[in-house]
Amino acid sequence: MHNIREFMADDHRRCDDVFADAEQAVADGDWARADARFAQFRQAVLQHFAAEESLLFPAFEEKTGMSMGPTQVMRGEHVQMRELLEEGAAALAARDAEGYSGSSETLLIMMQQHNMKEENVLYPMCDQHLVDYVETLVPRLQAQIQNQPGADA
Amino acid sequence: MQALLSFDRAPPFGAPLRFFLTAPAFAVLAGLLLLWSGPDLFASRWTPEALALTHLLTAGFMLQTMLGALFQLLPVVAGANMVRPLFVARLVHVALTVGTLALVAGFLTYEPLAFRFAVLFLGAGATLFIAAAGHALHGIPATSPTIRGLRLALIGLAVTVAFGLLLAASLGWSLALPLAQLTDIHLGWGFVAWGCALLAAVGYVVVPMFQLTPSYPGWFGKHFARFVLGVAAVWTVADLAGWTLPSAVLSAAVVLCAAAFAVVTLSIQWRSKRAKLDPTQVYWRVAMFSALAACALWLAASAIPALAGWQGWPLLFAALLLLGGFMSVIVGMLYKIVPFLVWLHLQNLGRGRVLAPNMKKVLAETHMRKQMYAHFAAVVLFLGAVVWPQGLAYPAGAALVLANGWLVRNLLAALGVYRRHLVQIAAVLDVPLAGAL
Repeated sequence: MHNIREFMADDHRRCDDVFADAEQAVADGDWARADARFAQFRQAVLQHFAAEESLLFPAFEEKTGMSMGPTQVMRGEHVQMRELLEEGAAALAARDAEGYSGSSETLLIMMQQHNMKEENVLYPMCDQHLVDYVETLVPRLQAQIQNQPGADA
Repeated sequence: MQALLSFDRAPPFGAPLRFFLTAPAFAVLAGLLLLWSGPDLFASRWTPEALALTHLLTAGFMLQTMLGALFQLLPVVAGANMVRPLFVARLVHVALTVGTLALVAGFLTYEPLAFRFAVLFLGAGATLFIAAAGHALHGIPATSPTIRGLRLALIGLAVTVAFGLLLAASLGWSLALPLAQLTDIHLGWGFVAWGCALLAAVGYVVVPMFQLTPSYPGWFGKHFARFVLGVAAVWTVADLAGWTLPSAVLSAAVVLCAAAFAVVTLSIQWRSKRAKLDPTQVYWRVAMFSALAACALWLAASAIPALAGWQGWPLLFAALLLLGGFMSVIVGMLYKIVPFLVWLHLQNLGRGRVLAPNMKKVLAETHMRKQMYAHFAAVVLFLGAVVWPQGLAYPAGAALVLANGWLVRNLLAALGVYRRHLVQIAAVLDVPLAGAL
């Protein structure tokens, strides 16, 4: 049985992998593959956000009473990353490799520093506070991330 | 909790930026010094010009960027919040800048007063920084190799500065100290126990982050900084006690630590998932190869008497390590940190209503790449100048001025984008600009 940190960190790595695939396709000038990979990446990221915002964060907030704390900071960063995703999508639609590379570079760093904070601080706090719920919460997160395409917030 | 929220308490842009903009100006001065002194600088590692140039690059370029980066990184990666970071940054920056200029003036004139000023200002600046950073890190649990590494690197900095101050004081007040021996200890701590330990601590975070590589191996992150500091400490004791053989073996171990960091870094960078090498990645890889070449040269010089007898080898070693190694990796990281901070601050100030320009609009990759080639040309010419000073000293000086002038220009261009967008944000949101920078 996974704990929250392991499960969600694995999903971060999955997003990284698809991000790299999309970047590779754009670098190769293979726009059809880039469209497919980027769509996959966007969906993976948005589902990850949706799982956090609809399940994990509310559970954490309810248990700890901290609704203006770390989860609020993370929600704010999700907003910024959604904007960068849209900027990347627009650049891709315009077949603008330079523009895509600028927004994907920015998104990558934003995403990595965000992941670092979640993996090092927030998820361990979730594992600690939600220890009694992990067994039901992780499968629900898994369902949200894997089985509900287009479940963006 | 603290680490998480602290992101919003990251220091104002002005705290790290002042260091990042001053650093390349010192490297330009290093190039000008070379143009002024010409081939004479390369007569030995002890010429006044060689000592001045080394400190323009170490205290001027490297230390400025390292401390500037720490003002940013301590709260963000370690959750270590400094008290009044902008105020501390201003004081440390002024003290460091004045102190470095005094030190360089001291080497060029051998005027005791200049060394006394250097001791005063560099001592005050470094002490203030170490105290502020140490206080911020106090009580933060060492939950990651980065936090452990940062703490130990600060100890490395303290020892490096202590020996440096001792050396400068002995020139300022004519103390009878074994200068050559203390210089080697100052170098060993500066390059490895401070420089390499800090680079490793930061690298654990930024190499996987910027380059999508696997993490550094767990054993490496856990033991590297501790091992480096331990070996450096035992070596220092052995050297000061005059135990020749143990000291020689231990100094080789210090050099091998630096080489191990370069090898491990290259091995994970080889597995990067990024589609193409951007300037930061090229800078990192060249830096690691250059550092490895420096280590190989050091080991060869300690094994081959004919090489050890050549006055040029320490200069070649320093050029490989400082110009090819540390400077390369630092510029490579500045090219990620500065555009990202510009984007991040603009994004936060724009409150979702004014979109920030992405990193490549802040600083175009072509500009970074061209500056990078100028830097590599400077490194190659400088290495050549050690071997053939008559022919290459002036071209090397000119290349150093060009590469670092270009770096200043690139950073100022990024700052220009920041300022223009601030005006736009102020207009759209109808808020005053004051305090944003």
